Amino acid sequence: MKDHNKIRELLALAAADALLPNESEMLMQHVRMCPQCSAEMEQWQHLSRSLRQLPTPQPSPDLVQRTCARAEARIIDEREHAWNRRVMISLVLFAWALTLTSWPIVRLVSGGLLSLLDPRLSQSWLGFAGFTSLVWLTGGIAAILLARHQRRERSLA
Amino acid sequence: MGLEADVAQLRRGDLDALSTLISRYQNRLYRFLLRLVRDRCEAEDLFQQTWIHVAEKIRRFDPSRNFDAWLFTVARNLAIDHLRRVRPASLDQPISEDGSQDTALDRLVAHDPAPLDRILEKERASRVGTALDELPFAYREVMTLRFEEEMKIEEIAQVLGIPLSTVKSRLRRSLEQMRNSLETRYAGENWLGARRGTSQ
Repeated sequence: MKDHNKIRELLALAAADALLPNESEMLMQHVRMCPQCSAEMEQWQHLSRSLRQLPTPQPSPDLVQRTCARAEARIIDEREHAWNRRVMISLVLFAWALTLTSWPIVRLVSGGLLSLLDPRLSQSWLGFAGFTSLVWLTGGIAAILLARHQRRERSLA
Repeated sequence: MGLEADVAQLRRGDLDALSTLISRYQNRLYRFLLRLVRDRCEAEDLFQQTWIHVAEKIRRFDPSRNFDAWLFTVARNLAIDHLRRVRPASLDQPISEDGSQDTALDRLVAHDPAPLDRILEKERASRVGTALDELPFAYREVMTLRFEEEMKIEEIAQVLGIPLSTVKSRLRRSLEQMRNSLETRYAGENWLGARRGTSQ
């Protein structure tokens, strides 16, 4: 009786083909000798067959086309975004390199070779450095605001 | 061309492979999403979102893994996010009887030439389909993956991120709940329709 009740619990899983081989074997041995479980198993198998034969709902005929168009547009947008990011980073690095090298070059041109070795910073050099930093700071803030704005627009699209 | 080749091509950025993959999975993925959200428009929108996600994240996909499981996991996560946002109660409550699946069932493909058999077949599918749709979300997803997608128990565990034993217990409870629902609703009559009688 204990086996019978235990086997009955396996009947639904047997219909779902979710039993281990040893469980399946034990079940089949019992079902061959127990008409009650055999009838019960038949019921579960009917339900299982009905589930497997459910009609497949069809999507709209143009769903694949719409999905392809939307996904491709997104990929192209992402690629463009990645390209813009790479170009922007390259330009920023180039601009920084140019700015940093411009200081000693301008100093060399304006004051000669010896001025490069002069550790003192004149008033005009301090002004130049301050102005350059201010320009970079403004540019950096503008770039951050622009990137946030673009990100917000993309998330709304 | 095989599935692996298409996935490899997509990973290399070939958009033609995306189109091939979408066509290959259109019916299965749409059916799965429709079972989860029970709304055709929402299912179609989630279908599109799933492929956009796939296209964006395909480089993160490990080709040694099962693509089916990965794809259905992506779709399921998007469906859960969507339901959590739009109908949070539907994630843990059984649905009401509104007959919303009729439109899907209307598209039933009839294999049987006899008109009476076709009607009985449709009626049986309608009963079983309705009972399936009335299951809670956690049961519905395990049932559709097993019986409609014909996934192995191991694959279902991978998609749902749960242990094998949990998949089995959910399967058993889903079947029991479905059978109880059919027996209660069609008490005194053959709830599986004509097929039950003919095959006995």
